[in-house]
Amino acid sequence: MLELPPVNVQLLARALEVFLVEELRASGLAGYLVGLSGGVDSAVSAALAAAAVGPEKVRALALPGATSSLESLRDAQAVAKAFGLALDVVDLASPAEILAETLGARADRVRFGNMMARLRMVALFDRARPVPALVLGTSNKSEILLGYSTLFGDAAASVQPLGDVWKTHIFALARTLGVPDSIVAKPPTADLWPGQTDAGELGFDYPTVDPVLYWHHEGGLGRDELVASGSSPALVDSALAAYRRNRFKWRPTVVARVSASCINVDRILPRNPER
Amino acid sequence: MGKSAPQQGDLVVALAQIATCPGQLRRNLDRHLEMVAKALEAGAHLVVFPELSVSGYLLAHGVLEHALRLDDPLLSPLLDASRRAAILVGLPLREAHGGISNAAVLLEGGEIRGVHRKLYLPTYGMFDEGRYFIPGPRLEPITCSLGRFGVLICEDAWHLSSSAILSRADLDAFIVISGGPSELDLGGEPASGRRWHWILGAVAITTVTPVFFTNRCGWEEGVLFGGASWAVDPRGATIAGPAPALEESLLVARLSRAAAARARTLTPIPCAERLELWSTATERRDA
Repeated sequence: MLELPPVNVQLLARALEVFLVEELRASGLAGYLVGLSGGVDSAVSAALAAAAVGPEKVRALALPGATSSLESLRDAQAVAKAFGLALDVVDLASPAEILAETLGARADRVRFGNMMARLRMVALFDRARPVPALVLGTSNKSEILLGYSTLFGDAAASVQPLGDVWKTHIFALARTLGVPDSIVAKPPTADLWPGQTDAGELGFDYPTVDPVLYWHHEGGLGRDELVASGSSPALVDSALAAYRRNRFKWRPTVVARVSASCINVDRILPRNPER
Repeated sequence: MGKSAPQQGDLVVALAQIATCPGQLRRNLDRHLEMVAKALEAGAHLVVFPELSVSGYLLAHGVLEHALRLDDPLLSPLLDASRRAAILVGLPLREAHGGISNAAVLLEGGEIRGVHRKLYLPTYGMFDEGRYFIPGPRLEPITCSLGRFGVLICEDAWHLSSSAILSRADLDAFIVISGGPSELDLGGEPASGRRWHWILGAVAITTVTPVFFTNRCGWEEGVLFGGASWAVDPRGATIAGPAPALEESLLVARLSRAAAARARTLTPIPCAERLELWSTATERRDA
């Protein structure tokens, strides 16, 4: 049976903390702003940032909508308390309803869910501006590979400390960093409609799919080799279909190159040169 | 290249493991001067910085903007500092006839003593050096008043022929500088430190020559570098380090030249290297 290679979680946490220190220094900004969903990814991002730059430089926002569960808000408050973060609650229910009505998106739960994710992005970047703060991303490698995110919504951030970390390892990070047990134990959810879970939508949970993704994406095994290694054909086909179908999200936009100096093609430059 | 005779006695080398910032040359230069000051307090004769230490490693096309000539005024403070200790730095070197080299430059006594241009430019995986640099044309030691050194830049050392060839040049030591990225696995340190340990240990033991290795640490553009700077004697014993993977640090390594010479006398492995086997193999392959 395929397994995901383990990682030294303590070293991973320390390395990511150094990353967050350096990104903040290089940006010249005052701190981080993180949206706390009540889930494990945002809890881990927040914990890493608090350990890296100090909780006084990390602000948190909870951004509930009309369909968000009360449990999510309670868990967000528990995370803020656990890591000493100042938490603001900005209720997006009313603006979401108005915008959904204006756009005609209310009846389609996927459209409404994507709109909510993008409204949260708007709130985070707006509140980051006066600090000024970097928006701390919470996307993980598993969901990025599967494309299980909203483009320019929850996938939008200034930095992504967990973007190369498997979800399986994020659970381990959460335990190491002291994320409350109730948050580590509950099923991952985007919380965009009542009863939604990642596993319910994807058809598999992360500990099951992570080894398949690892051995395909990093290990180079093809579909038949994955099945021959003991993974179910249905799991492999489903995971690889998402891996291919949503790959456009890995690079959110593409520029038409018509010169010999196309940005990020012919001219790849450091983001933070000396000012 | 300097012609002065090597000094006798112990050689004290400071390995300045710094976290450089791409495109922030003045900041990087300040870090150099701070480390040189600390190294002088520790009695260092030579201070070694990582690959592309002046410019940062992940410059990409930024090398066009940040490449330096050897007479660039930016290097003046380093040249001044080199009157008190020799300094080896890494920088993108703008060549007179075009092209940019990934270079290691040895400064001493307010002058440039020698330059090594990276021979092997990794262009695979996350590396794209062949896109931005031209490869060095030759492999030869650099000499200053402290001795004769085989200077290698990162990937150069992964080709063991580099150390085998240089070991015929009566070296006092190898100096390997690196901007080595790393991934993390189950180990207690970044995985690159383990690889460097084996490579540098093999270089030291098979050439019976001490190795001083300075890697960079920290992050650039989302890429983690593995630190673990290290000094190892001709028989594979640690002289200093390895430095912590994630932190800037200054390691001070004291090498006994007498002990190194004794090791070469008792274990003359490089003297027996049959380079004609290499040339025969090369001729056969090319036939």
